[in-house]
Amino acid sequence: MADDEHSPLESPEGDWWNQTVNRRESIWLGISGAWAVTLFSWMLGWTQFGDQNQTGQTYKISTERFQEKVQAYKDAAGTLEVGGEEYLVPDGNDVFVGSRQWAWDGLPVVLKPGETYKFHLGSYDVQHGFGVRPEGNLSKQISLQIIPGYEWVVEMSFDETGTYHVVCNEFCGVGHRTMHGTFLVQDHDHVETGADQSSDDADQPTGDYGGWFTGDARGAETPNYDGSATDATDQSEVTVDVGSDTENGPYGYGPAALEVSPGTTVHFEWASDGHNVLVESQPDGADWQGVESLESEGYSESVTFEEAGVYKYYCEPHLGMGMKGVVEVV
Amino acid sequence: MFGLSTYEYDDDGFRTCGVTDLRIHKSAEDLVKLFGVTAIVSLAIGGVFALLVAMTRWEVVGLLDPGQFYRFTSLHAWFMILFWMVFMEIAILYVGGPFVLGRKLSLHKLGWAGYGIMAFGGLLAVYSIATYELPNQAPFYTSYVPLPSPAPYFAGAVLFLVGAVVAAVPFFATIWREKRENPSKTLPLITFGAFITAVIALEALAGGITALTPAFLWRIGFIEHLDAAWYRQMFWTIGHGSQQINLLAMITVWYFMTHVVGGAEVASEKVSRFAFVLYLFFINMGAAHHLMSDPGVSAAWRMWNTSYAAYGAVIASMIHAFAIPAGLEAGRRRKGEGGGLFGWLWSAPWKDPGFSATILSIILFGFLGGITGVMMGQMQLNMNWHNTLAVTGHFHATVVTGTTLAFMGLSYYVLRLVFGRNWLGGTLASVQPFLYGGAMGLVSLMLMYLGLLFGVPRRHPTVMDIPGTSFDFSAAEPFFAVFAVAAVLAIVGGALFVLIVVGSLVAGSPFSGGPVVDDDAVAADGAGDADPVHDQSMRGTFTLTLVFFGAFVVLYALNWFLLSQVWHIGP
Repeated sequence: MADDEHSPLESPEGDWWNQTVNRRESIWLGISGAWAVTLFSWMLGWTQFGDQNQTGQTYKISTERFQEKVQAYKDAAGTLEVGGEEYLVPDGNDVFVGSRQWAWDGLPVVLKPGETYKFHLGSYDVQHGFGVRPEGNLSKQISLQIIPGYEWVVEMSFDETGTYHVVCNEFCGVGHRTMHGTFLVQDHDHVETGADQSSDDADQPTGDYGGWFTGDARGAETPNYDGSATDATDQSEVTVDVGSDTENGPYGYGPAALEVSPGTTVHFEWASDGHNVLVESQPDGADWQGVESLESEGYSESVTFEEAGVYKYYCEPHLGMGMKGVVEVV
Repeated sequence: MFGLSTYEYDDDGFRTCGVTDLRIHKSAEDLVKLFGVTAIVSLAIGGVFALLVAMTRWEVVGLLDPGQFYRFTSLHAWFMILFWMVFMEIAILYVGGPFVLGRKLSLHKLGWAGYGIMAFGGLLAVYSIATYELPNQAPFYTSYVPLPSPAPYFAGAVLFLVGAVVAAVPFFATIWREKRENPSKTLPLITFGAFITAVIALEALAGGITALTPAFLWRIGFIEHLDAAWYRQMFWTIGHGSQQINLLAMITVWYFMTHVVGGAEVASEKVSRFAFVLYLFFINMGAAHHLMSDPGVSAAWRMWNTSYAAYGAVIASMIHAFAIPAGLEAGRRRKGEGGGLFGWLWSAPWKDPGFSATILSIILFGFLGGITGVMMGQMQLNMNWHNTLAVTGHFHATVVTGTTLAFMGLSYYVLRLVFGRNWLGGTLASVQPFLYGGAMGLVSLMLMYLGLLFGVPRRHPTVMDIPGTSFDFSAAEPFFAVFAVAAVLAIVGGALFVLIVVGSLVAGSPFSGGPVVDDDAVAADGAGDADPVHDQSMRGTFTLTLVFFGAFVVLYALNWFLLSQVWHIGP
């Protein structure tokens, strides 16, 4: 090696600190410094003159309390039917979006163009991602993190009308990919909103079970529920297949809804692998434990239902496929 | 070690390298081999998972079902970003410290102990990923609480990090002894770079242990509640901190390889060292850009940490982007290896995979990885990037196209200089870096297009059939097709690398070459220019960096334009 070589493998000799720096290298240093200042200034400036800043108040809140707030918001909201689908109409300019495994609570909602809404984003269970884009232009998209224990209030207003799609883009468990919601931006006539109009719920059609089989409740819509229960009130023993086929694969209870008389024994028989039966709600005085462990084909469990009322249950891993069921004792 | 080396040591356990003139001790060299070979085996396994993951996201093939996709993507992450990277980085520390200083590895038994702990922890983590059952979920790389990852996973991850800390101790001990014996001697630039890398690594590892230990205690029920926002903040100390280790190790490798293979010299010791010191102070806070679209931290916090901190590091990276090619240009001009604007580049040993891998790594990292990293690190632009495939594209540009390619180049020289083996494959070896780098660059680009222009989310097995809705991302299909073909080519390029390395280790002829750039002979001819390095013309490098700067400004402006099209968000 030449004696005066400046090798990075050897200790530099002499007064290396005061050695001349090449003029072009000095110019590049200047460019780099100026560029860094530009980057910083532009980012700060955008908070003043830009229209897209994901800033807003954050509140610490328990997941249960946030869920209650979303429920109160939904109770106060009006409804509007557009193209056969029912949308919430917010009472005022606050819009609540609750994320849960694996559905968006509070959606779909209809919003007016040009109006400024306060989105309250929060979670009932794990972390989720609020990824939004209008249907017709996928490149206009943004994503905000949702963290359980925090309610984030971010203002948004929309000029472009149409359907906006919300997908979850933070991994949240096996049903992650099924977590989809929408909201609609469009002008509409005045809709009655406010706390009292929730009494409409009393008029809901029978066989709805409080919307249990729709995407509004926990998990996705149940594909194999056709709107009415299977009547087995004349039988003393009935079988429910766990993991029976639906259009989405072996993720259904067959039948999804069952009507029985008091004292009927229901045999839950596993028709495919990896399912359980968790009880969502049951009448006062009933003490059904469900089957918490994940069981495989061939397993069975028998339960005798005595207490009259609606028993709602679901499969924990496959809620995202709408694997939900009801036994109603009449 | 392994009985695969062709070199002999003297009675003191030293030997002198015929290429670099370095005095190398067996205690350090054995561990370089152990960590290096482990890294390459991990790369091979991770490559198989890469194929499975890419062929799932290309839905025309749609290889894995969702559950398998989440599992295999997690495994792919562990074998690549943790095993391949971290094992290789420990090897680089042992090269940058004891090799360059001509010393034994102090406390070398801790190196072995660290390896054992890392291997045990790592295997525990991947075993728990491979076998977890509900209610546990796939941890991916982040294992965000409160989503339940398997408890042994957290334990394994903590052990892996502890092992890496233990393995770093012999490096620090070696530097300590060097400074005790030669207090007034400046460390060589490579050793200085490795030292800064190791300090930053310790900060990152400490942060990781701080995040993952409570997560483990929470998972086994000892702690009832862990704040998810706190976990995110602490996790990213290691989550991105480890990427800073990759960055610094890669830059150190760039200085090393351009010198050893290309005849580069140090353009300015002061400027290059200043840039490393900037990293030391600023780069770890740059990890804050993972929380740019988070509710858990205030806007002021986000602005502050992606401003003073990130831009201190951005300046440092821009300095290296000039200093390394300038060192190559000046060094080669001095040796008479090229006149004109780019003669020093045209005359370079492009057929040498060690050289081409290094240069491709510098170029592709800068254009694809560096620029995009700055863009997503701007608070508002981050809304466009967050959790889309564009993020995946960014880190495949940095960690894969940049760091992996640099480490591949280094590996070719580990074969020669540490194992004493010539590489097999001839032309195939010459082509390998171009195939891998080119294809991987295309993969990164496609992922970024998919994320930014179509908003395709990451961590989804499929986006063409979101259940229960007619909405899908089918407009993005052509980009997925290009992505998939490029991914297959890249995996072929990676497999070729593994085959060449393993083949050479077993059957390569003994390497007995001298210095790659024989500057004494050149100087004797009088062809070289005797002026000092800093007086050499750096106009070729200056032109290249101006092109880079132009691309930077244009891409930055385009991303802001894209964001400005979005509806009104915020006050």
